Amino acid sequence: MKTIKVCGVGSVLLGDDAVGPYAARWIASNYEFGTGVEVEDLGTPGLDLIAYMTGMNVLILIDSVDNHEPAGTVTVYDKAAITRHRPAVRLDPHSPCITESIFVAELAGDGPEEVYLIGVTGEEFEVGSPLSEPVQNAIPLLMEKVLEIVVQHGGSFRKREVPLDADIWWENARVGVAV
Amino acid sequence: MAKRITIDPISRIEGHLRVDVEVENGSVSNSWASCTMWRGIETILQGRDPREAWVFTQRFCGVCTTVHAMASVRSVEDALKLEIPLNAQYIRNLILINHGLHDHIVHFYHLSALDYVDILKIPAADPAKTSALIEGLTNWPGNSKKTFLDAQNKVKAVAASGQLGIFTNGYWGHPAMKLSPEVNLLAFAHYIQALEYQRKSVQAVAILGSKSPHIQNLTVGGVSNAINLDSLATLNMDRLFMVKKLMDEVKPFIDQVYLPDVCAIAGMYADWFNYGSGVTNYLASPDLPLDSKNSKFDLVGGYIMDGNLSSVHKFDGFRDKVFVDAVTEETKHAYYKGEAPLHPWKGETDPELTDWQAEGKYSWVKAPRFNGRPMQVGPLAQILVGYAAGDPLTRKHTDKALDLISTVAGHKIGIEKLQSTMGRHVARAIRASMLAELGEKHWELLVNNIASGDVATHNEPVFPSGEIEGVGVHEAPRGLLSHWSVIKGGKIANYQAVVPSTWNASPRDAKGQHGPYEASLLHNPIADPTRPLEAIRTIHSFDPCMACACHTFDPEGKPVATVKVL
Repeated sequence: MKTIKVCGVGSVLLGDDAVGPYAARWIASNYEFGTGVEVEDLGTPGLDLIAYMTGMNVLILIDSVDNHEPAGTVTVYDKAAITRHRPAVRLDPHSPCITESIFVAELAGDGPEEVYLIGVTGEEFEVGSPLSEPVQNAIPLLMEKVLEIVVQHGGSFRKREVPLDADIWWENARVGVAV
Repeated sequence: MAKRITIDPISRIEGHLRVDVEVENGSVSNSWASCTMWRGIETILQGRDPREAWVFTQRFCGVCTTVHAMASVRSVEDALKLEIPLNAQYIRNLILINHGLHDHIVHFYHLSALDYVDILKIPAADPAKTSALIEGLTNWPGNSKKTFLDAQNKVKAVAASGQLGIFTNGYWGHPAMKLSPEVNLLAFAHYIQALEYQRKSVQAVAILGSKSPHIQNLTVGGVSNAINLDSLATLNMDRLFMVKKLMDEVKPFIDQVYLPDVCAIAGMYADWFNYGSGVTNYLASPDLPLDSKNSKFDLVGGYIMDGNLSSVHKFDGFRDKVFVDAVTEETKHAYYKGEAPLHPWKGETDPELTDWQAEGKYSWVKAPRFNGRPMQVGPLAQILVGYAAGDPLTRKHTDKALDLISTVAGHKIGIEKLQSTMGRHVARAIRASMLAELGEKHWELLVNNIASGDVATHNEPVFPSGEIEGVGVHEAPRGLLSHWSVIKGGKIANYQAVVPSTWNASPRDAKGQHGPYEASLLHNPIADPTRPLEAIRTIHSFDPCMACACHTFDPEGKPVATVKVL
């Protein structure tokens, strides 16, 4: 049986960059998956992404992308497309490093065989903003793509009769504690 | 005539470290460190429940998650004068220790080692000779001829495929690369093994914190782990032994691989003890509290001024008055309005963007100062403060490392030499070996305390209607982190995070004093301005973190860093 990991990546504090974590939580709240499939909100792991991808057969990343498409466009990139460009000199361990993490994991002989990036073109990256409307509207299509890839690699899923709370806590209203 | 070099990581949403140096006669004559993105993240917290602030601050940065969570709960607990149950202190300490080990291993092997290790010399190595180099020195099972042969074959395969992957843009063949093919192979084999061990530390954090990268178990007042040694659903003996097993596996890697590798490379590059001292004022926080009141600690905090190791001032606790009164942030050279130094509790975040101006404003990082002086923070500050204060644990681990370095270098390297680019790497490895030992201790403290019948993990916070102020400090992997909160009527009224990289990446202040990155670059040699490996070595030695970086993936593959020579 293949192990499949679905990872939402991005900063929940920076507008549309939250689309990865948002989608991961939304998928986990709406669907149950068979054994071998994990769904996680990984935040912005930087080089630490290596620790979460090793030992997986298939890695499905959800992230905001900049590809000059209209906001909310969903684009699927495969491993060849993701790794087409080589990373350059790195000053810190925190910058985006999906490509670099894949190379390092592969070098150790422990990298995923297949990697997909479900990219959503973002629009608004202001601190504290919720998802923009076009990105919010792209969630169902994005989720469809994820489920399609999961099934294609032998994973199974079932829609929950009653969805769980997706817990998008960063969009909650500002309420203090009673004094 | 000086030549200006800009090392500028390009990302779609700019949020990274940029370094500019002027090079004259093969050496750095002037320097600027800047962050290219606004850190206004604190504003998200205004009006929120102080008990939830840590959930947000944990998302400041995806690599330093636990440290911002910890500093945040400590800040609110300090404002409330809340005591923390012993079990909660030990569980938090074990999370900090394991997170720190993971962070230091990744920093050395996966961010910095290739500044000194030339991958392209590896195919020429003789694996048998590599194995013979260290035979009898350690019991590490991963030092066999076969292991080295396998590692060499990986490099050969990558080289033969014509796809150098992550190594495409390394500074291979640079005149500042000095290791023999055999030593390069040794370090590279450990680079691969390090991947496995850093993951074990992540697993230990995940067991204790219920999840990683974002731990779930903190509360203002303690932790939410229920302790019942017989229940499957709680922190029980099985889980505690899983943590112990992972720590028992990581400790030999630290003792027999990481620390010896750093010492060996340091000894072979001993000239790097002569560069990069920069700001020699050091500031560290006490950490790993041993009691509920936060009055006893396993890591010593305090400060040292002007590199004078014979005079150290120790801090008594997290909220030492000397520390709390001394901290200000200045914005003369940062993209904010106003110029007067402000205390973090009065901090303002009012942006005023200009161009990058060598003599004016050039960074989004504010300039934190301690009694008006720039300070260096990080493992080096912690080790020097502990050593100068006579802390036996710090002295034991430091002396052991210095002996090994001196043996490899063939001449004595004393404690004062650690005030350098190489010293920061050595101090980080010393800190890791201390943490690995302290991990055993705090695991036993936790288990013994539970065995004595104490299962308390949380004290309930009660918020007053008036205004209170708190500071939460934490000696994080990158150094002293402080979260300053003002709470009014049960809501957050102001929140400022003074992060380690703010101290180290600080721009000049109103008096023109350089920040630590800037000062450390001065007088670094630069053999080839188009490939400024030496400047990158010094910057990497700090373990830089521009925490707020946006994570958007760019399929066009713009380079992570470009070097522009003007």
